[in-house]
Amino acid sequence: MLSRRKDKKRRLKIKIYLIMFLLIIGFTGVFMRLFNLHVVKNQALASRAEKQHQKTIILEGERGTILDRNGKILAANLDVPSMYASPVSVKDQAAASKKISLATGTEYNILKNKMKSGKKSGKNFVWLKRRIDPAKVEEVKGLGIEGIGLIMESQRFYPKGNLLSNVLGFAGLDNNGLEGLELRYDKYLRGDKRWQVLEKDALGKTIFPKDRKYTTPQRGKDIALTIDEVIQYISERELDLALERTSAKSGSIIVMDPRNGEILAMAVRPTFDPNHTDSYQPSDLRNRAITDPYEPGSTLKTLVASAAIEEGLVTPDELIYCENGSFNIGGRVLHDHEKHGLLPFKDVIKVSSNIGTAKVGMRLGEERLYKYIRAFGLGEKTDIDLSGESIGIVREPGSWTVKSLPSISIGQEVAATPIQLITAVAAIANGGWLMRPHLVDEIRDQEGNIVFKSAPEVIRRVVSFDTAREMIKILTRVTERGGTGEKAVISGYSVAGKTGTAQKKAAGSRGYSAEYFVSSFIGFVPSQDPRLIILVVIDEPEGVSWGGSIAAPVFKNVAEEILNYLAIPQENREGILMVSRENGQPGSINEIR
Amino acid sequence: MPKRTDKTILVTMLILIAFGFIMIYSASAVISYKKYGDSFFFLKKQLIWGLLGMIAFMAAHSLDYRTWQRYVIPVFALSCLMLILVLTPLFGPAVNGSRRWLRLGIISFQPSEITKLAVIIYLAGYLARKGDGIRDFFHGFVPPMILIGIIMGLIIIEPDLGSVVTIGLVAGTLLLIGGARLSHMSLVVLLSAPIVYRFVMQVGYRRQRWETFLNPWMDPAGSGFQIVQSFMAFGSGGLLGSGLGEGRQKLFFLPYPHTDFIFAIIGEEMGLLGVFSIILLYLLLALKGCTIAIKTEDLFGSYLAFGITMMITIQVLINICVATGLLPTKGLALPFLSYGGSSLLTNMLGMGMLSSIAKDGRGR
Repeated sequence: MLSRRKDKKRRLKIKIYLIMFLLIIGFTGVFMRLFNLHVVKNQALASRAEKQHQKTIILEGERGTILDRNGKILAANLDVPSMYASPVSVKDQAAASKKISLATGTEYNILKNKMKSGKKSGKNFVWLKRRIDPAKVEEVKGLGIEGIGLIMESQRFYPKGNLLSNVLGFAGLDNNGLEGLELRYDKYLRGDKRWQVLEKDALGKTIFPKDRKYTTPQRGKDIALTIDEVIQYISERELDLALERTSAKSGSIIVMDPRNGEILAMAVRPTFDPNHTDSYQPSDLRNRAITDPYEPGSTLKTLVASAAIEEGLVTPDELIYCENGSFNIGGRVLHDHEKHGLLPFKDVIKVSSNIGTAKVGMRLGEERLYKYIRAFGLGEKTDIDLSGESIGIVREPGSWTVKSLPSISIGQEVAATPIQLITAVAAIANGGWLMRPHLVDEIRDQEGNIVFKSAPEVIRRVVSFDTAREMIKILTRVTERGGTGEKAVISGYSVAGKTGTAQKKAAGSRGYSAEYFVSSFIGFVPSQDPRLIILVVIDEPEGVSWGGSIAAPVFKNVAEEILNYLAIPQENREGILMVSRENGQPGSINEIR
Repeated sequence: MPKRTDKTILVTMLILIAFGFIMIYSASAVISYKKYGDSFFFLKKQLIWGLLGMIAFMAAHSLDYRTWQRYVIPVFALSCLMLILVLTPLFGPAVNGSRRWLRLGIISFQPSEITKLAVIIYLAGYLARKGDGIRDFFHGFVPPMILIGIIMGLIIIEPDLGSVVTIGLVAGTLLLIGGARLSHMSLVVLLSAPIVYRFVMQVGYRRQRWETFLNPWMDPAGSGFQIVQSFMAFGSGGLLGSGLGEGRQKLFFLPYPHTDFIFAIIGEEMGLLGVFSIILLYLLLALKGCTIAIKTEDLFGSYLAFGITMMITIQVLINICVATGLLPTKGLALPFLSYGGSSLLTNMLGMGMLSSIAKDGRGR
């Protein structure tokens, strides 16, 4: 009995082994078949699949809208018809091209060539003309040419024309972001890909777009900016007027809320209309406020003075001898615009004495000056949410010459972008915090859910609250009688600020040009509780080029109108609000003691 | 003597299932979004079934497999009952002209899937009990033939030809290794040939499938559409594939991309490397299952292990052969990979039993 059982088990084993052998053969056969399909027939099958896939076209989903902080539309989408052909189905290409050309105004040769080359390569689908005038739709339909059709595509539209265009950038034909915010936030703005199938009819001749089967109609996300359309408009208008008045070649104005780094306006010239980008040079498209570093000149003295006060190397009332307007320092002769003798340090800044500031800069020494300039964010990206930001030029002390220390103290030998400079000075205005500037406030999906919400972001504390307070007092003097920024004064408010008049490097030589300047003014208001910080940069104004005469009045016009628009209460000049936020977070004004 | 738990079965199965989840999502996301407004619809359902399957696996693994032998009759009876119920309009709504799904409240289930397992348990028990008695035609061979014939008949009415073929082949191989006479089996094949012919050639669409199989390129836009699309999916995959989620065949062209033709989608997106890896995993599972059948002293355990292994392997081979045009089209899930809850649950339950046999099937 036992041996019979064993014998049965033995036969069972042999049979299972046989089946295992057969299974291995079976799996090998299957693998060979797959090898045949994947490798041997790869070319033939892949090209056949490709050909059939040509019958599907990919359309980009509708892009999200870009809005300002009050919900005003800055960029949106419109449905516009595009005309396509199925070249293999068009019987008489010449006649069809002629008819279409007459109806739509598209050039005959272009149409003809597209159809011809399409037919040659056996294509089922070519675009004839994307985004045609919606008024022509009926005419094209009326032609009734076999193999010609229309598909609705969505097109980017900028209702405000060139307003904010250097910041917004633009999107291309396929609704892909190419510049500015459109590029930087492309992955949010972009809708899902939309697939559309074009099917042959029973005769295999004409192609019809099937109704949108299997399409994913998900729109892109909407972006709300911190930009205020009205403030942007005011800034651009004043910038245009200033450039016209001075025949300057370019310029920029940035308006920021120093408490949280929100950009309220960013005006840049030259500019462009994003609805018609082909007619502009690449240089018109640039956002110079973030891409173009310039030597800040005297506006940099704000940072040098802050550093010296923070380090206890000078007090606002300490008398400094300004050498009557000419002083040999570090092997370089410095000049002042007006001759001065002994001046308290606060007046050195008020009248923007190069000699006085350079002397204080010498006290700081190379390492400390470098450390503070870097701490204020020069030589690094501000990390603003835009692409293409420049880091500017701040050399390390190791490569400085003997002249560098005094030169850098008065804003030469360093270069900063407008956004870097305004961010740095905002750290004085808000009590010592370097804030990350940003202009996207919120990203929302189509159901209105908030996907991203910006929050004030502190990069670092640069100077103490007390130092910032002292600096605000000093900078407020700049706009008082006898200061370089007199023309920035706004009635009803106290303005703190600093002028800058920087000679540009002469082309082809190592020295500075006596002809070309960058005039600028940076100021914040109300000085004791700053709500706005504004930087005006005018590049190469003709004639008088002092920052105090060119840029300061622009600041005044812009600031005055914005204060009015935002209804920021006027100050009582005598009893200025004393706000303490020494240890508080920036932006909190509730700790009144 | 208790053996250390062998993890090969569990690990191989889990790799396949996990890969299945990824591919089901990739293949169904667009269709799913279109149909249900949720691109994760099919994936979510499959995840739930996977969880149930895992519970079934663990239970079967820890249960002594010999217990199943005792419950052969109730299990078998329940299967038959479900197969009958599914044919009634009340419980079995017609989907695409066939009644395969038993709807019980919110869940629906394919009784033909679990029936495969029931047939295997029954036949394993019968063969182990009869021993050499199976060689006797009337007292050994005929009774199981009648029972299995009834089951297959019920399923073919649904109709679910894929399941019928699977049950027939699994039962056939089990009888073969169980010692049934070749002459008896040949007789069955000869007798059933006219019936098969009638079922294939008299039903229009099956006849067409057969003709399409012989020459799929005859009408690539009509009857050959599906298989030609499948070829193109494999072919455009090349060696490394177009990348996960990048396949385009699933979008409009290949019907049933997440169920019957998921292997073609794997071919398109993962290339030869991907399908080869999958085949190796299945082969590993098949050889491991056969080894367990050989090593098990207990005859019931041996037959059960072999039957379960064949159930999986035969479905794998048929599904892949259909997708690659080596067999005419019939609806059959690719075990562990295709979307389909009943199939996943049944196969995982079967794997649990196999694992249990591996654990304590060395005889007493």
